[in-house]
This record gives sequence, C-alpha cells and structure tokens, in this order.
Amino acid sequence: MSRLFAPAPTPRLLAAYLVIGLVGSVILIYLLHRGLGPRGRRWLIAVVTFVAGLFYGLEFYYPVHNRKNFLTDWIEPVSVMIAVIGAFTVGLGIYSLCQVHGRNVARRRPGWPNSLAFFVAFLAMLVFGLWSHYTPVGEPAPKVLPWQNGVYEVLFNGLFAPLQTATFSLLAFYIASAAYRAFRMRTAEAALMMIAAFIVMLGQVPVGAWITSGIPLTSPWAFFRLETLGEWILNWLNMPAQRGIVFGIAVGALAMSLRVWLSLERGTFFSEQR
Amino acid sequence: MATLEHANWFMRGLFAAMSAIIVASVLLAQRGREMFIRRIPGLTAIEEAIGRATEMGRPILFSPGLDGIGIITLQALAILAYIVRLAAAQATRLIVAIRASEVYPVAEEVVREAYDAAGRPEAYRPEDIRFISDEQFAYALGTVGLMARERVATNFLFGGFYAEALILTENGRALGAVQVAGTPDPTQIPFFIATCDYVVIGDEFYAASAYLTREPTLTGSLVGQDIVKGILVALVLLGVGIATYLGGAANEAHNLLWQALARGSQ
Amino acid sequence: MTQAPPHGFWQRMQQIPRYYIYALLAGVVIWQLLFPIRLPIAPSRATLGVRDAIRNVPEDKIVIISVDWDASTQPETGPQTQAIIEACFQLKKRFAIMNLAAPMGVKLANDIALRVARRYNAKYGVDWCNWGYKVGQGNFLMAVAKNIPKAVATDFYNKPVSELPMMRGVENISSIGLVVEVTGLAGMTELWLGLIQGPYGTPFASAYTAVMAPGYYPYLDSGQMKGMLVGAKGAAEMETLVNRPGSAVAIMNVQSWAHLLIIVLIVIGNVAYFMGRRRPGEGRR
Repeated sequence: MSRLFAPAPTPRLLAAYLVIGLVGSVILIYLLHRGLGPRGRRWLIAVVTFVAGLFYGLEFYYPVHNRKNFLTDWIEPVSVMIAVIGAFTVGLGIYSLCQVHGRNVARRRPGWPNSLAFFVAFLAMLVFGLWSHYTPVGEPAPKVLPWQNGVYEVLFNGLFAPLQTATFSLLAFYIASAAYRAFRMRTAEAALMMIAAFIVMLGQVPVGAWITSGIPLTSPWAFFRLETLGEWILNWLNMPAQRGIVFGIAVGALAMSLRVWLSLERGTFFSEQR
Repeated sequence: MATLEHANWFMRGLFAAMSAIIVASVLLAQRGREMFIRRIPGLTAIEEAIGRATEMGRPILFSPGLDGIGIITLQALAILAYIVRLAAAQATRLIVAIRASEVYPVAEEVVREAYDAAGRPEAYRPEDIRFISDEQFAYALGTVGLMARERVATNFLFGGFYAEALILTENGRALGAVQVAGTPDPTQIPFFIATCDYVVIGDEFYAASAYLTREPTLTGSLVGQDIVKGILVALVLLGVGIATYLGGAANEAHNLLWQALARGSQ
Repeated sequence: MTQAPPHGFWQRMQQIPRYYIYALLAGVVIWQLLFPIRLPIAPSRATLGVRDAIRNVPEDKIVIISVDWDASTQPETGPQTQAIIEACFQLKKRFAIMNLAAPMGVKLANDIALRVARRYNAKYGVDWCNWGYKVGQGNFLMAVAKNIPKAVATDFYNKPVSELPMMRGVENISSIGLVVEVTGLAGMTELWLGLIQGPYGTPFASAYTAVMAPGYYPYLDSGQMKGMLVGAKGAAEMETLVNRPGSAVAIMNVQSWAHLLIIVLIVIGNVAYFMGRRRPGEGRR
C-alpha cells in the first residue's frame, strides 16, 4: 500500500504519471458524460457518496487492534487526495473572480476602478508572496531583508493584517447599535435575559469588579459581587444550556449525515426523480 | 462535538441504536404514516420574503455560509434549491455569494438544476453565482458591497457563519432588506436575532429540508431524530438521579463500566 | 426594514440614529486610550489554571502552542499568545508554536515570539521553535501522536526540526507536557481533545475570543481543559500574572467603559419604550 502512494522516484516517471492521469481523467469523464444519462449520473453520485461515507464510517467503527484496523493506513493518503482535489477548486474561484472583474474593466462598467484594484492587489500578493517564500533568509530574524521580502512584509503586516483587524473592529460598533435597537423588555423572558446580559457584561470587565468592590470577598454576600455572579451565570446557567444545544445539534447532524450518505436528500438538491 | 480516533463499544452500540430508530421512522413515514412537524416561523417566512422581492422588483441574495462542503453547507444548498424554485416561478433574480471555492461548482449545479426543475432554464445566469473571496472579512465586505450595488430586497443567510455574520446582517438591515437567517452554531444566533426578521435556530436548521419539501423520507428522519433526543434526555436524567442518590458507589460502577466499554478503541 | 420617522421625544429616544451611537462609542474608546482610568484586574480560576498548567510541565517535556488565529482576532488572541509565551519563558518551559488552520497566525505569532525572546535572551531552536503551518488537521495530529519529527518534518524556516537542539529527544506525544490552543476559530478544540487529550491524557489548556468562550465551559468543568483564557480579559489577567501589563490591560480599560455605554444605551431605549407606551398620544402628532 505504501508503494501505491509513494512519490514517483524520478522526474520522468512523475511526468509520465501526470500525463497518463490527465489524459485518462479526461477520457473517463467524457465517456461518463456521454454514456450516462441523468438517471445514470444520479446513480453514480449515489454510489460514490455511499462508498466515500462508508470508507470513513467503517474506519471509525470497525474494531481496532493497537489503534489500527485494515483501513487506518488508507486514511492519510485518501485525506491528502481529497485535499488536493479541493485545492483545484481554488482555481475555479480565481477564474470566477477574474471573469467577473475582467468583464467590469473591459466594458468600463460603473465601479471598474475597484475591479482594476482587485487585479493589482491579487497580482502583487501572488508575486511577492511566492518570491519571498522561495528566497532563503538564513537566520530567523535578519536585520536586513531582501527587497522582495520587504515588499511582502509591507503588503502583509502593513496592509492585509491591519485591514482584517479594522474590519473586525466594525463589529464593536454594530454590536452597540444592534443591542440598543433590539434589547427591549417586551416580555418577562426578555427582561430576565437582559438582566443576565448586564451582569455578565459587567462581570467580564474591571469596572464591574470595581462597582461591587465594597462587598468583602469573605462576607456571605460575596456571591453578589458582579464578577462572581457573572461567573456563576456562565458556569451554572450557560454551561448546561450549551451542553443541551450540543446534544440536539449532534443528533440533528447524525440524521442529516445519514440522509446524505444514503442519498435520501437527492430530491432536494437536484431535480426530483421522475 | 469531540473527535475520537476510533469508536469504542459504547459508541458502536449507541450509533447502531440511534441509526436504527431514525431508519425505522423513515420506513414508517414511507408507508404513509402521518408525521407532525410544528410550525417553524423562519422557514414559513421564506415564501413571504421572496414575494416582497418580487413586488419591489429587486433581487434576492443568498449566502450559504462560510463552511466548505459538509453537512451544514449541504443543508444550506438544499434550502437554496427550494428558494431558487420559488424565485424562478416568480421571475425574481437570485444572486448567490460564495466563500468556499469547493462550494462554488456545487452551488452552480444546484441552482442550474433548480431552474430546470422550475421550467425556467433560460432564467439561469452563471454570473449570479459569485465567488467573493475565501478570506472571512473580505467575503463579508464583498457581499455587503454586492447587497448595496444590487439593492437587494431580501437576504437569505443559511449555513455556517462566524464573526462576519453581524457585518452582513447589520448592513442588510440598514439597506432595508428583509432578512431570514439560519445556522446551527449557537455563537452567532444572538446577532442574527438582533438584526434579522426571522431566524432558524439550531436543530430547526437541520429540519429545514424536511419542513420545506414534506417528503415522507425526510419527515420520518426528523421524527426519528426527535425520538433519539428524547432517549438521550431520559438517559441524562437517569444518570443525574443515580449520581445524586447513589454517589460514590455509582461513580465506581460507572468507571468500571466505562473502562469495559472503552476497550475496543485501543 | 424602513420605518416611519419618529414623532415625539420618547419615540426619538427609541430610534437614535446609529451614527450618534458610533460617535459616542468612538469617543469613549479614544478617551480611555488617551486618559485611561486603571482599575485592578484579579485573575480568575480559569486563568490561574492556564498558568498552573504551564508551571506543572516537567523539565524534559515541551509545550505546544497552537496559534489558530489570524489578524482579525489579533486584539484578543495576540495578547493571549504573548502572555502565554512570556509565562513559558519566565517558567523556563521550552515550547513549539504551530498552526493547523488560518496560516497567517503562525507568522504573526512568530513575530510576537521573536520580540518577547529578545527580552529573555532566548534562542530560537534552543528555548523555542516554530513548526509552522501544518496541513491535515486531524490526520496531522494523529501522526504527531506517533512520530513528531516525521510528522512535523520542517520548521517555519524550512529547516528540518530534527536539527533543532530542543527537538532532540522529542519523539512522540509522550514528549509533550502541555498543549495550549489559542484560537478564534470553531472546531479546533474538538480535534485536540478527541485526538490528543482524550486518548493520550496530554494536559490541555486554551485561549478563546470572548464570543466563543461560553461554548467551551463544559470542557473546563469536566476537567478536559486545565484552564482557559477568555478574550481580552483572560489575556489581561495573564499579563497581570506574568507582571507584564500590555495591550490587553489597555483594552480592558477601554472595554469597561464601552460596556457601560452599551448598558446605558439599552436602558435609555427601554425607558423610552415604556414611556412611549404610557403616552400613546405622542405618536399621533
């Protein structure tokens, strides 16, 4: 089995594998496309789905000896294959982006400079990212970086990371406006939820501890210090509820997984069987 | 849910029992037995939300979440197929904003097939299935930009959402769109509730395909999973009672039992 | 959805334009950054658990710090990572940084580690190292449990890890004294607990963003986690414990007053709601 997934020993053999694989895949897909009608395609999807699910399910549930069963050694190469196939779809995504933005630029649609900015950013990150990755720098923290690594540092640490952080920080403002607008004590449950929210919000910050700092830690009323009360709510109210939610979601996921594995969901994804 | 390397005997037994109950429910439903599903407002509102977009002559935006191909995204795509069929019947444009590149070809196929099934293959526009970015916040901002430029009337957000959820929904609300959201992950539900008109929570998300299509197979599976949940609750209550009233002896027995059952994953 | 313009004072108080709210919040943040009102920070039990877990790592074992976060959560996870690294250096525990998701995190954490290492004269490869971003998640963890040099292969700088002095004698999971997961992503903890902590009993601690932490209290309660840093508060508590108050402490000053502002706004909205209901005539001018 290990020889089946071992890397090709020579570049020539690797090239041969690639060509055979590519040509073989194209021929196989063409034959399947021409030979199978809609019913045949659905049958093929159902079989492949079942076999793929069976592989992982069987490997997990089949009894083991020394933490292994007859399928365990196949897990890693199969997972790598799936990751490689998934990586091909990145190309599809890039194609879609280039198609849409390319059309905007070519036809000078409103907002076309933004599409041009996409291409500039995409190419800059691609070129300098790959270039700096393949430029050896020697020690972990050199005092002087090669210029292409410097450009990559500026793009990454100077642009990309701060932009991500800035976007995330928008959430603080959105939370403030959403909380102000949505939190209304229309019912008793809403009031209870709001009180709990206030306690936990204040318990999580130093000002909450300061507000109730007058209650000595050793007094019988210490439970009512905001940080203690907040922790109590998280540990004794929130935690069992989270456990319950996990139970429910896990069972729902099991049922959904069974339906997908046995292709019982076919009618909802694709056109119904006739 | 914690991941294990391999199952032990307890898990094998539990899985077999749960699956048997669900499959039995499915078979009963297929034999014509009526199964009751309570009303789920978020799912009932889908048709109303699509109608609003049709009246205003503006498009609908659908986001299947940020996850790759998995149970959550597949359920989201099932809901997408239903929405496409309704939107196609009312000649309303639908835009899909994708984050995970491996979801992109699947979403294309689902939408194309749904337009075919609705008898409107000519309404399918490949450029309306848009891969935005695989970076979380670039996706959020790109989708918000799409909402604003296309002036969407209705937003559907079904799938796995994370920190960007509030950016999507708060901006959608500011644009005046009707928003229906659904996710099984409890972390983002509070933000959806604060900003969306209808929210589908937790288990209701997995019930969506059964609820919308009312196919016997799917409703049977839904009822089966509810029975399994009931059994789990009963087991938890039994365990709590035993631990509370038998104390140390129960702990000892539990440890021995667990060690015996855990053999089989070593 | 669009609403009719508000009539009357209480109606207007229920619909304060969001720009005013944003301006108020921005004002509070700037005020506290420029003129901080410092309040004492007392470490919680969960944070003390993380510190104690690091302290209890045997001399011959290393700590794995899995930095599965990116720039978006850096204000919380960055200080958490820095405080954990400070604790490792102070308590003289060797550690390896790595990353299973969000490849950006391992570079950002590397920059943090380089900065902190200078203060302690710590040497790369001797006192700490960076395994880099590793593909495969669950498969990688299963491989690490069995053979670390083979699974990890090269470090962040593309050098074989077996050549690093601190990696001599680090064979498999029994050489790991503690795993600390610092993350803003869902799903990573379950991998570590299921594939490493559960089967091998390796001590596990974690650090999360504040919004996701409530979902992980069950693991803390069951003893599967030794400790947990919760958001910027946890980072500030850890900074206090290692006597290096930094950005997390500054964030907590700001967060205190921001929370108060949000509470005040909610109270105003509710008072306006009830007063508006009591005076039905106001809405009909």
